[in-house]
Amino acid sequence: MKELIKNAETINRLLARYGVKFGIYKDGTFKEQLFPFDPIPRIISNGEFQYLEKGLKQRVNALNCFLSDIYGEKRIVRDGVIPEEFIYSAKGFLPPCDGVTPPKNIYSHISGIDLVQSKDDNWYILEDNLRVPSGASYPMIARELQRRSAPDAFSSNSVIDNRNYADMLKEVMDYVNTGGINVILSPGRYNAAFFEHSYLAEKTGAVLSTGKEIVCENDRLYYIDYLGRKQRVGAVYRRISDEYLDPMTFYEDSVIGIPHIFEAYKKGNVALLNAPGNGVADDKGIYYFVPKMIKYYLGEDAILKNAPTYLPYYEDDMRYVLDKFDNLVIKDVAEAGGYGVVFGSSLSKEKKEAFIQLLKSEPRRFIAQEVIDFYDLDILGTDGTQVPRKADLRAFVLTDGETKVWPSGLTRFSRNPDSFIVNSSQGGGFKDTWVLSR
Amino acid sequence: MGIITVDKSDHLFWLGRYTERVYTTLKYYFQSADKMIDANPEYYGEFCRKIGIPNAYGTREKFLRAYPFDETDPNSIISSLNRAYDNAIVMRDYIGTETMAYIQLAIDDIHNAKNGSAALADLMLTLDHILAFWGCVNDMIDDEQIRNIIKLGKGLERLDLYLSLDLPDNDVRREYRRMKQFLAKSKLRYDESVINTVDNMMTDDPLNHPNLKKLLRNLINE
Repeated sequence: MKELIKNAETINRLLARYGVKFGIYKDGTFKEQLFPFDPIPRIISNGEFQYLEKGLKQRVNALNCFLSDIYGEKRIVRDGVIPEEFIYSAKGFLPPCDGVTPPKNIYSHISGIDLVQSKDDNWYILEDNLRVPSGASYPMIARELQRRSAPDAFSSNSVIDNRNYADMLKEVMDYVNTGGINVILSPGRYNAAFFEHSYLAEKTGAVLSTGKEIVCENDRLYYIDYLGRKQRVGAVYRRISDEYLDPMTFYEDSVIGIPHIFEAYKKGNVALLNAPGNGVADDKGIYYFVPKMIKYYLGEDAILKNAPTYLPYYEDDMRYVLDKFDNLVIKDVAEAGGYGVVFGSSLSKEKKEAFIQLLKSEPRRFIAQEVIDFYDLDILGTDGTQVPRKADLRAFVLTDGETKVWPSGLTRFSRNPDSFIVNSSQGGGFKDTWVLSR
Repeated sequence: MGIITVDKSDHLFWLGRYTERVYTTLKYYFQSADKMIDANPEYYGEFCRKIGIPNAYGTREKFLRAYPFDETDPNSIISSLNRAYDNAIVMRDYIGTETMAYIQLAIDDIHNAKNGSAALADLMLTLDHILAFWGCVNDMIDDEQIRNIIKLGKGLERLDLYLSLDLPDNDVRREYRRMKQFLAKSKLRYDESVINTVDNMMTDDPLNHPNLKKLLRNLINE
């Protein structure tokens, strides 16, 4: 570990050299920022990983069943497991996707599941990200550099190599590809995750496109080269949101989408990873029902627990939330990236009253969760000493013919000692995640 | 990789042009700065005229500082390097992370030189990393087409600058021959009549630099 710590500055310098940055808009100006890397890895034992792997596969399989059902027969609603209001009022439910089956019936090919480990050693799922989860590229490249700067740390610790993520991703794209090239569709250079888009394109051999070079003809997609030659596109790993994907079907003012791509997808002529409409399954309100989905579709009890969650939509839960308001964290289901998160204890009397009014008038808009006292992980402080900080883990689960968990993940930490918010857009950093082979 | 779109060919072409602009103008800046030490302190006026930029500097000191480092000046070396970066960053999947890193390193060098105590000496590192970038283009980019488009941009920019700077005719002829090889290999659309005319003009002695420059600016159909 000493070797890793000693070379922390070198790694951060190399990450800058390779352009490992994310973009943010501050005061209307675009800036590229380095994603601070901490050299002390999160270490997950092999036994613990096997447990997580089992639970994550189970969860993602159930979520894929749910998506197939909800855009198909809707049995789970008919059987009263999830109130229909929760489905149809979810921002991520897209009526145009109703009745559309994606290639190989896979909806969530790349799932980013956020977990935390509490001080009682239990792992809790914080949220599911089934639309465009990002972050795998950072530990991939950091591992590459750390292996160069501290080889002994790896040879003596039996760390499973995580640099196979691009191969796993390519296998998924190839599996659902309907005939043609693989494309990574990016909103472009000024997107926060552009580094990741371009890096994954480089490593998977997919073509990186901003959509301008792709046309849809006769419900098929083609990529056009500078001599005007066309190549069929078989799979699009799109890193743009559903609403911007196709101006003919979704947000009509979108200039970053591909007109008619949805028609090509609907006819089964191109695979979209992840499928449009997945937002209904990672809605924070739907999250509450995931353990019930697991039981309903797989006949199993959930292996990984949700953080204890309450839906103010239900009267009993509303009473509990009002009673324990100061002990809970309230989340706006429409927000992401650490925004729309309110800790009850942090509000002044006036703000609390105003918030409770809002909660009562829009109960479906919020969920409340117990504040999990999750494990602090040590990071290297500015003075070179190790200091504890809150950290989560984003696990990447990939689904093709089978569901696989990448033996690594993105560990994000808060740099602020008083904060639980780990998002990069709010100043967080990242660590490598070691899964041991023994 | 195999598929290069119009946009991507444009980025590759301009990546070649901007890296060459940084390289040749920086070398010319070194020579000119040396002249300004004692031989001709006002030489920066001539520099601006030759390069074809407005002389908005006023003093030698301002020129020596602003021309390499002023990011608000679109004609400065750092601005050209930033434009090279803009074109490189969107081509990571074509040129590779390793190759792209040399542009980042050249940018780091120029920032360090700006803040250092021996700016001219420190700027040498920028040249080193531009050369390393080109080495990487040759060594690490498998796709010949990608290499040829970058080199065409580089060659055309060099020719343009050599003509502007009135470099010896033999140097201009050599760079023209080189550029032409990449023009054919790049498969970019170009105006053949320009090449025919320039081919004839290249036999003139001396060469008509201003006319050649004007003609070559219309070579590539963008």
